[in-house]
Amino acid sequence: MEVSWLYLIFLLPLLGAAVNGLLGRWLPKATLYAIALLVVLLSFCIGLFAWLQIARLEGEAAQLHQTVFTWFSVGSLKVDLGLAFDRLSGTLVLVVTGVGFLIHLYSVGYMEEDPAQWRYFAYLNLFVSMMLILVLADNLVAMFVGWEGVGLCSYLLIGFWYDDETKAYAGRKAFVVNRIGDFGFLIGIFVVYLYTGQVSFHALRLAPLSLGVASAAAALLFVGATGKSAQLPLYVWLPDAMAGPTPVSALIHAATMVTAGVYMVARLSFLYVQAPGVMAVVAIIGILTALIAALIGTSQMDIKKVLAYSTVSQLGYMFIGVGVGAFAAGTAHLITHAFFKACLFLCSGAVMHGLHGEQNMAKMGGLRRAGLKQTATTFFVATVAITGVFPISGFFSKDEILARALNTRAFDFLTAWNPEWTNVPVLRPLLVGLSQTRLTFLGSTVYVVGTLTALITSFYMWRCYRLTFEGEYRGPHEVHPHESPWVMTVPLWILAGLSILAALIVLPWHGLSFTWEHFTEGVFARPRGGAPAERLPQWLAFGIALAVAWTGYLVARWLYAPGLQGDEKLSSALPRLRRTLANALYVDAFYDWAVSKPLFATARGLWRVVDATLIDGLLINGSAQAVAAAGSALRRFQNGDVQRYAAVTAVGVLILVYVFLVRG
Amino acid sequence: MVGPLHYLFLAAALFALGALGVVVRRNALIVLMSIELMLNAVNLTFLTFSRFPLVRVAPTQTGFLSGHTAVFFVIAVAAAEAAVGLAIVIAVFRSRTTVNVDEFDSLKF
Amino acid sequence: MAETVLFWIFFVGVLGAGFAVVKSRNPVNAAMSLVACFFFLAGVYLLLSAHLIAILQVMVYAGAVMVLFVFVIMLLNLKDEELGRERVTVWKGIGTLAVAGAIGLIVVRAMRDAYPAVARDLAADQLSTGFGTVRSVGRALYLFSVLPFELTSLLLTVAIVGAVVVAKGKI
Repeated sequence: MEVSWLYLIFLLPLLGAAVNGLLGRWLPKATLYAIALLVVLLSFCIGLFAWLQIARLEGEAAQLHQTVFTWFSVGSLKVDLGLAFDRLSGTLVLVVTGVGFLIHLYSVGYMEEDPAQWRYFAYLNLFVSMMLILVLADNLVAMFVGWEGVGLCSYLLIGFWYDDETKAYAGRKAFVVNRIGDFGFLIGIFVVYLYTGQVSFHALRLAPLSLGVASAAAALLFVGATGKSAQLPLYVWLPDAMAGPTPVSALIHAATMVTAGVYMVARLSFLYVQAPGVMAVVAIIGILTALIAALIGTSQMDIKKVLAYSTVSQLGYMFIGVGVGAFAAGTAHLITHAFFKACLFLCSGAVMHGLHGEQNMAKMGGLRRAGLKQTATTFFVATVAITGVFPISGFFSKDEILARALNTRAFDFLTAWNPEWTNVPVLRPLLVGLSQTRLTFLGSTVYVVGTLTALITSFYMWRCYRLTFEGEYRGPHEVHPHESPWVMTVPLWILAGLSILAALIVLPWHGLSFTWEHFTEGVFARPRGGAPAERLPQWLAFGIALAVAWTGYLVARWLYAPGLQGDEKLSSALPRLRRTLANALYVDAFYDWAVSKPLFATARGLWRVVDATLIDGLLINGSAQAVAAAGSALRRFQNGDVQRYAAVTAVGVLILVYVFLVRG
Repeated sequence: MVGPLHYLFLAAALFALGALGVVVRRNALIVLMSIELMLNAVNLTFLTFSRFPLVRVAPTQTGFLSGHTAVFFVIAVAAAEAAVGLAIVIAVFRSRTTVNVDEFDSLKF
Repeated sequence: MAETVLFWIFFVGVLGAGFAVVKSRNPVNAAMSLVACFFFLAGVYLLLSAHLIAILQVMVYAGAVMVLFVFVIMLLNLKDEELGRERVTVWKGIGTLAVAGAIGLIVVRAMRDAYPAVARDLAADQLSTGFGTVRSVGRALYLFSVLPFELTSLLLTVAIVGAVVVAKGKI
């Protein structure tokens, strides 16, 4: 259904950003807050209005569409800024604007003493606008605009306190790593356009694609997703991104921007089901990321870093979901994760606010009794959600993904090797063997590793809770922890409540009309391979999940009851493992050695050889010197002897006469 | 009979003599006089072609007398050029006390 | 008949005087030879029915320009020893050969084809109407090339002023 007011959803925050950005420095604080909060709230209201409309419609017609304007039209390529508000994107709009509004409200309290609040709120509004463009876009290029825009705002907000070099570099790192992913995304768009001549989702759904093209496009677009959504190998920017203000971490690096990769894969489900090999890769990268990030999270002392790695890990889960073909489950986890992760980050922000900026858990402890009751309670609720205890929402979304992974048939027909790919004779026996090995076990493997990761997740989250809120206070005595103002605690309660209530949409029993699965019927494509099997009875799978969550809680409670002794026990038991995990597996150092240093060396070499020697020396200076030398040589003809000139002139006349008379 | 080719030959020989004088002689005054010789050779050529035209109908409004008008102007210009050239020779002689052209070599690298 | 004899006398005279100009060591001798050359040339012009030009040659060229030359030669007052000997250089040789070659080529190649058919002699019709007389040349000048004529006067003014300025001791 075509409407004419969809663009307001992203335009209002954009205007808010413009006003606050240009005039905010001189506006009174109240006006600044009012503009920033109001535009997001209005976007939410318009989004709600649109959502209610499509909720009443059925099937294919359940979408609102608007072509805002034609961006450019070159040859046969016509790119519009088109907006498509369907059940998936519409719900995400509500999540982005709703959670965004709560975080804006929170920021009013958190950033109270910062001198550059106008800049902060302008960037935050701009981010919301860009994210909305990303979500609402109806073609790849418009989505890419939003994709880049959120990357830019991420950079601006991470490096918000740019006077601190470390923080500025963190912002730069985020942008550069994102850029690598964006490069893949862009090439993916090119591949799609080259082979289909289309970029809009609606047209691509109908376009015929060969396996090779679909795989190439899907893989390249997924490279972009690994960058934006912090998966292996491009996740390294997310832990460093904690240098930004905590509300920024909550909004961008938990609830919205990092989920853009998952959203993209879900949106392009029709493309990915045509490339089952790429889906397998997605699932594998998802589970690997989830496991590694969870392991690293067990050894971090900075509360924000724990939550950062937790985000990376949970994003891995989402990619598992879309990788095995359970697009609804993956996006459901996206929504529930937005609620409880944002709540967790805002709680940590409240803790830091109460301790005047302390982030090290070694200096925390016992804060529940020391005055941060509301923060502790909401943090507790959110932790229950993330670890997946029945009946809170996280339980249903995460474990639904794992159950789908177990039961998926998407890989049943995939073989480990396709004989068409290469014909190297030496490897032939191995390749023949691989080409007959079916990947049916992939789903089950993902399930097992995923359950193990859930155990680790439960462990490190409860460790985090215990170290922060229980036990004895280990910090300096001058710092008296105090609770946050209402603008900060109200969003905490709302998000905690949503973490619980969102369970309603992810209840796994089919046939319930208000579940997410039912709501998004028809939006996602079905993977090849047939309906899911039932490898494990549902109650057993639930039982295992619950047992895992409780185990993690109990282990953490036992280890960290008195405080930091848990860490000491673990460190003495497995010293090298602990150290490696604490240093995040030395990935940054590896990238520095493997990528950055060679890159810089190449650049230096090119500068010295090509630029300085060749171009400057040889071509520029060299040509000038050649001309000067020629001039010096030719100068000798001018010796001032007039009669010599006359003689030369006579010779010239002779030549001319010869040419014209003899040669004609 | 004396035909046009005889006159033209005379003009060519005179021109050659003048050119030779320019190339060979050192004295600036002799060089100037050689230039006058060349100009006169040109005048002779003009008049020859005017008297023995190669076309049936006169090409310009002045008719076959265009050669004469050309010579008229050549004489005027030659006079002007001789005056100025001699003035230059005087000026140079004043500073260098020589009129040998191979000693006028300051316009060089 | 008379025309042929006169032509050959003038021929020898012109070339002889010209040769003397180029050969003389003393500039005064060269100037006098040049005057003689101009007189002989005036005779040749008369043979070509260029009456006005011949008179102008004597009056302007031989009379005015050469007088100017002689004045300047006298003014410079070059002593015999100052005149110096001619130096023989490579470039002079090259120049001589080039001049000879160029003129030789023109004589050999061009003049053969200069008059392909029998030349039209203006003797019959044109000469009767006063070809080359003061009246006809004057008409040609004043009626059809007035602008160059007036500009020539400007040119002469410029030359006079230039000569005065260049030759003055102090400006």
